[in-house]
Amino acid sequence: MIRLELRNVSRTYHLDEQRIPALSEVSLVAEAGTVTVLVGRSGCGKSTLLNLAGAMDFPDSGDVLIDGQSTTGLNERQLTELRRNRIGFVFQSFQLLPTMTALENVELPLLLARKPNTEKIARERLRWVGLEGRERSLPHQLSGGQMQRVAVARALVQQPDILIADEPTGNLDTASGGDVLQLLQRAARELGATLLMATHSAEAAAIADVRVYMRDGSVESIQRNL
Amino acid sequence: MSVLFRTLILRPLRNDLLRSLLTLLAVALGVAVVIAIDLAGDAAAGSFQSSLTTVVGKVDLEITATGGVDERWIGKLAALPIIVRFAPGMQAEVKIEGVGFVTVYGIDLLGAEQARGCGASPALVTKGISARLANRFFINGYPFCKAKTIESGEANFAVIDIADFQQALGRFGKLDRIDVFVEPGEGFENVQRQVTAALPAGYRIARPGARSDENQKMLRSFRWNLRILSYISLVVGAFLIYNTISISVVRRRAEIGILRALGATRQAVLSLFLLEASMFGLAGAALGLLIGRVLAVTMVGLISQTVHALYTSSTPAPIHLGLLDITLAFAAGLATALLSAWGPAREATRVVPMEAMGRGSREVRVRLRLWKNLAIAAVLAVAAWAASLPGPVDGRPIFGYLSTVLSIAAAAMSAPALVAGVNGLLRAPLLKLFGVEGLLASRGLSASLGRTSVMVAALATAIAMTSSVGIMVGSFRETLLLWLDGQLRADLYIRSAEPSSAGEFPPIPTAVIPRLRSVPGIADLDIFTAFEFHYQGQRATLGAGDLDVQRRHARLRFLSGDHDAILRSLSHHDRAIVSEPFSEKHHVHPGDSIAVDLGEHRVALTVAGIYYDYSNEQGYVIIDRTTLLKYLPDQPPTNIAVYLKQGVDKDAVRREIEERTRQFPISVAPNQTLRQAAVEIFDRTFAVTWALEGVAIFVAMLGAANCLLALVLDRRREFGMLRYLGAATSQIRRLILVEAGLIGFFALLLGAALGLVLSRLLIFVINKQSFGWTIQFHLPVAALGGAMLLIWAVTVLAGLYPARVAARLKPIEVIHEE
Repeated sequence: MIRLELRNVSRTYHLDEQRIPALSEVSLVAEAGTVTVLVGRSGCGKSTLLNLAGAMDFPDSGDVLIDGQSTTGLNERQLTELRRNRIGFVFQSFQLLPTMTALENVELPLLLARKPNTEKIARERLRWVGLEGRERSLPHQLSGGQMQRVAVARALVQQPDILIADEPTGNLDTASGGDVLQLLQRAARELGATLLMATHSAEAAAIADVRVYMRDGSVESIQRNL
Repeated sequence: MSVLFRTLILRPLRNDLLRSLLTLLAVALGVAVVIAIDLAGDAAAGSFQSSLTTVVGKVDLEITATGGVDERWIGKLAALPIIVRFAPGMQAEVKIEGVGFVTVYGIDLLGAEQARGCGASPALVTKGISARLANRFFINGYPFCKAKTIESGEANFAVIDIADFQQALGRFGKLDRIDVFVEPGEGFENVQRQVTAALPAGYRIARPGARSDENQKMLRSFRWNLRILSYISLVVGAFLIYNTISISVVRRRAEIGILRALGATRQAVLSLFLLEASMFGLAGAALGLLIGRVLAVTMVGLISQTVHALYTSSTPAPIHLGLLDITLAFAAGLATALLSAWGPAREATRVVPMEAMGRGSREVRVRLRLWKNLAIAAVLAVAAWAASLPGPVDGRPIFGYLSTVLSIAAAAMSAPALVAGVNGLLRAPLLKLFGVEGLLASRGLSASLGRTSVMVAALATAIAMTSSVGIMVGSFRETLLLWLDGQLRADLYIRSAEPSSAGEFPPIPTAVIPRLRSVPGIADLDIFTAFEFHYQGQRATLGAGDLDVQRRHARLRFLSGDHDAILRSLSHHDRAIVSEPFSEKHHVHPGDSIAVDLGEHRVALTVAGIYYDYSNEQGYVIIDRTTLLKYLPDQPPTNIAVYLKQGVDKDAVRREIEERTRQFPISVAPNQTLRQAAVEIFDRTFAVTWALEGVAIFVAMLGAANCLLALVLDRRREFGMLRYLGAATSQIRRLILVEAGLIGFFALLLGAALGLVLSRLLIFVINKQSFGWTIQFHLPVAALGGAMLLIWAVTVLAGLYPARVAARLKPIEVIHEE
């Protein structure tokens, strides 16, 4: 089942008078429960594509569809609902709130969405990422790998349909990176999330069902391991 | 250095223009208030010089006496072997048809102007009233004609001959003063010596300027306290500069680290940030001067009214912005800026390259310093208590002010602990009350403890000053009302219709007394005479009344001793009671003897008791009327209190009195009117105070907005991330508003506690030492609660713009900008 689709998407940024084309006529399809990895050099448009897919940005032309519905026509409230309930994000630099415990960080999306039983769900998710017993730890008391696992737990706490990860192993050593990749792959397989991940790392690319090679804002080639 | 300054200081300030402008405006307002109070105070106190100088020339010496100078002394003094001219002087506020009340001077006109043949007594009138005055006019039915129009700037008055003055106003035998003109060639000291030797002991000879000096001295405490209040905004502004420079340093740690690694000296880094502060100080001072000049125009009216009502008559002088004021403005702006920036600038010099990338390490240090700061706060609090104990220095509560400053410093040092502690306690309730926004706000403030605490301290200072002044004014008002209850027990009060300011006691014609006695329904009359007198070189008021009537009807409250026994002991004796301010000012106690000039006599009065009085700061000495008449037999009354028989219609008696005394220029007022007038004067007196408090609160609000804006900009990555996690823009907005509310709440807590301490200092130390009044402590709970709620609401409002900025941040830009 096609969960996420990008149809001829283009995006250009404007910096003062300068036009900076970030994506040009990109089309892409990601099915439920699969891992799609974007590979390419810095500045090739990976992050732009992730933002469009996550409904954090909108294309100048083309369309982004989630379960066949375009994100372009959604209003602010609908977009917020979409992000809350259907999309999870994992960042390279973890982006945990330093004054909140691991548990609170994971709880945060549930609290923002005013969901009930937040603590119970967050605890379960932390257990799922293997951090049982570290609930009360503050981010600076955790290792890089643990921090990223908290970030993954946070991204998955709402059981999103789409999981977007931007260089999730970029700040980690190989072992920790491997653990995080395993978690992300499990998220796709066990929870049915569509994982869209940008990476430089060969290890990360290795877990992909679909590898999308990008260059200068365009898709150079697509390789399927399905 | 200039390149560094441009890139490291100027450019960021330009990029963060709104915050820079807010800081600048805060400094400018602080300086403006200081300048405005100084300029307005100078203008209100500046013009005590007699307008008559333009007509009679410069007077060299002035002879005065309590109760007036016997006019026969002109002849006696003229016989002295000195080359001088003695001229009589009298003055009164007189109602002239078509013009209203005008100051009329009675002088020896023949010496100055020749009478014109206009068929009536000649009068010289100033240009301002000449146009409104018919050629022939009347003063109390006595005809005058305009003999000449004179130029006298903005002053308006009329000058008539002394004999005509006495005829028209029925004041015979006594002069207000004798002016002495020393002729060229005659020795000034010789004149003063010979005249003093010839005059009776109770007479006083002084330079006319001495009165101006006395006025300035008299206003000293009043102006000092206003001046101190005017510095509150500057203190609040100082917190703001501290915050701005702190933020500068925190934000530029990386750059400072790199500069240090490249060889920049600590001195260079220090200079950079002190330069930044100086810029705010100097630019703020320049802008403050302009605003201050404009504010002064409004304030001079308010201050003049107070001076007129409570101290002495004065004509406001034009506002003059001199070199001294300009220097004061720049000195105040620069000193505030440099002192407040010194701490953060020094911190910048301690940045080491290794640490440079560690944003927020300052916050960690603030957290680590919590206990140390608390200990310092405790030491400062003890020092504040110790400073509240000594008495005044040269009549000024210097240690009281020091205690105030130390208390503020103690509160500021305890702010981080308070914020951290209360914030910790509030976490669960906040989550319950405001949901996730409450939790995030609480954590956000914890994360920026350093600057949050500074802002809380600034806001708390403004709140504390406002609430303490509020408590002081409220207590004073309550005390005044209680005092008025005991003091104003008569049903009707009679005084001259002539308008007068404090220290002026226009007489009531003696012929009024028998007419009053003939009015049916009157139980008792308290005939009171008041006049200004000098005691130990300072002015005070001497009053003489029928103390037996007082004893039976009124309720004077004494500091100690039995009311009835004290009052009974005064009749026919050289005994007096003195008001509390008089006792404080001159260190006079019951049983002491004070030498008071009564006419030609110097009388030694034994102090029988000290009574509470809130009518004037200079103080009262009260004797029984029998004692007064012994030394000044012809003294007319200045006030008459009328006590009615029970069940008599007050309005009917009032109408009857007015009817029977129609030809006399007197006014009859019921008790309620006097009470109302006293309260109105009181409220007007504190109008300037409230204006100053308002500015301080406004500056603190600017600070709150500034601080929140900085927090928003520094935490933009966090807000961006929250949006990625599903936060709605409304949630981000609410989060900032909750933070604003929390800052306001912390500030209210600290401000209320500090306010209570400061109010006690104001009431029992500063006010007591400045003015000598005992004020009963009274907590105006409702008014204070309302004001606090308002301040809290405005703090939340100050968060609106930063909240808007936070909500408008573009998540993908702020998340990826690192």
